[in-house]
Amino acid sequence: MKKIKRILIANRGEIAVRIMKTAHAMGIKCVAVRTSTEPDAMYLSSADIIHDDGDETAEIPVFLDIEKLIAVALETKCDALHPGYGFLAENAYFADKCKDNKIIFIGPSPDAIYKMGNKPVARQIAMKHKIPMAMGTPGSVADEDEAVRHAARIGYPVIIKAASGGGGRGMRVVRQESEMEKMFTLASREAEKAFNDPSVFIEKYIENPKHIEFQILGDMHGNIIHLGERECSIQRKHQKLLEEAPSPALDEELRKTMGDTAVRIARAVGYYSAGTVEFLLDSDRNFYFMEMNTRIQVEHPVTEIITGIDLIEQQIRIANGEELSMRQEDVSLKGWAIECRINAEDVQSGFAPSPGRIEKISFPEGPGIRVDTGVRAGSSIVASFDSMVAKLIVTGTDRKHAITNTKLALDKIWIKGTKTTLPFFRMLMRNHIFQEGTFTTAFIEKNLDQYHHSSEYEDNIAAWLATKLFVEENLTGNRTNISFDQGKELTPWLLRKRLTQF
Amino acid sequence: MKPDKPTIKKLFAISTEGRKFQFPLPLKNVIRVNGRDYNVELREDEKYGIHVLWKNRRYPVEIVRTKQNRYEILFNDIGHTFTVETPISLQRKKILGKGKGKSTTLVVKAPMPGRIIDVLVREHAEVIKGEALVILEAMKMQNEIQSIAGGTVIRVDVRAGQNVMKDDILVEIAVK
Repeated sequence: MKKIKRILIANRGEIAVRIMKTAHAMGIKCVAVRTSTEPDAMYLSSADIIHDDGDETAEIPVFLDIEKLIAVALETKCDALHPGYGFLAENAYFADKCKDNKIIFIGPSPDAIYKMGNKPVARQIAMKHKIPMAMGTPGSVADEDEAVRHAARIGYPVIIKAASGGGGRGMRVVRQESEMEKMFTLASREAEKAFNDPSVFIEKYIENPKHIEFQILGDMHGNIIHLGERECSIQRKHQKLLEEAPSPALDEELRKTMGDTAVRIARAVGYYSAGTVEFLLDSDRNFYFMEMNTRIQVEHPVTEIITGIDLIEQQIRIANGEELSMRQEDVSLKGWAIECRINAEDVQSGFAPSPGRIEKISFPEGPGIRVDTGVRAGSSIVASFDSMVAKLIVTGTDRKHAITNTKLALDKIWIKGTKTTLPFFRMLMRNHIFQEGTFTTAFIEKNLDQYHHSSEYEDNIAAWLATKLFVEENLTGNRTNISFDQGKELTPWLLRKRLTQF
Repeated sequence: MKPDKPTIKKLFAISTEGRKFQFPLPLKNVIRVNGRDYNVELREDEKYGIHVLWKNRRYPVEIVRTKQNRYEILFNDIGHTFTVETPISLQRKKILGKGKGKSTTLVVKAPMPGRIIDVLVREHAEVIKGEALVILEAMKMQNEIQSIAGGTVIRVDVRAGQNVMKDDILVEIAVK
């Protein structure tokens, strides 16, 4: 097999930057696509060749346009394509199209993507291989009447999931029969919108579980290993906010059992490339297979840190046809890593998206701190893409040390121009349930009264600022004789206010 | 320029939660907490932009929006809203407030720009506190906009498929 020399990055943002970093280190050239939505995006600076897609009339973003991406790859003479995460990363048809056009798809086979992507099919495969699972429907459910019948058999609460879903979208928990009609419609509609497929299925809803996932690596020669677990229970509405590796809930024995199970699932579909097997772990340490993600994950850096393995490099090597250079017994987990997803969201308004232009941004640097970002000062967080600003990944010798280091790093991050999830993480690092590690996926909804950390005298300072502004607007030049020795400080402060006033 | 008025000796900043902070004029770079004075400074430089220097640490600060004497300020990434009153305006507000009684209409506004996916209530419908009124999609996330009080829906201002801006009125409820 010939070696990959040029990759089309079929993605944007931090993951595009991340992929190009490794590709460059391997001596591979990268092509990135410029969109009219973000013509000055940071990821374009990493590219060797930029393909301009100035099509403002397009209905769907270029990263979802299969025909166009293939054409761009051929035109720019790319021998491979990396889909990143989201967009077309788990689209079997796209992977197949790449193959047809002799472009190496850096990911698993179209067959594996299809089997794991279609949740009822994945359930059937898992069942055949005796993988522990929550009780559920054998296939998709046609309508709410059928849903009610299945739910009665399984027992409430149940969860409705999108058959083609993933990433937590299109999921609804139903606690009683009377809610079924509304929830079924909502889930189905959301599924159609998000995945172009309205079909849904039903599973027993496991109350207060932990979300534990295993990183898998497989090659085209039948070797499959796991790289340990990630703890992803800090979620809001099934969206992960913080991930860590390893998990405080696992010991060596459970890690081995769950890891072996994850490898068995991957083997059942002849998996190669990097992938993730997601499990729910209940309070009695029973685990249930949830789904397999057939792509690189947002949270892959925590695994890279504790194993010392570059997952993007492994994906490229595997796509080249190389054999895995390590066996299961070579994998050892060292230290503790925590990833905070710093999103442009307003934690005080229930994590509502808060798009805007980043005016200033700076991150702490030093040993044990990694920042994966796709934005810089002047970048915009646009409503048409996701709200991610950066991923802060902090390492420690153990969990306690990693939490301390994260707390320090969070205080050194400086972002101006948009509200972010920073206040949430500052609070989280000080929360005793988080510190103990006993939290479940219900933690944010059930155990928190406040979503942010308030610093000392914060109200007093904010009140002082409001008063200062009032004085400058209404009383300057008045006989109150306010002295403004600081001079320079006032102009931009007032200017900014006028810009945003309405 | 405002017309001459009597010298104002102090100002009050009143938070949305009703907490009252008092500042003597002329306004100094000092905050008094529990009888102790602390220095606070508003600064600006190229690297950090506008920020507050407090106990030898920089904190980011931004004005999110202002409307008359109402200020929404972002301090250390957390939003705070205050109305600033003079002793006279505060007195006037108190008198006005007594006559009016409590507002009985709850106006539910869009917390963010987005698209209305579904409207779950109709006019004259009875709703309870926490009931979902509208599903609003923004940044690929569906958000349930819930009622913060129980009552009767008197007006529905949006329909499914419609795009809304932040603070557009969605639903009005007569609070019980």
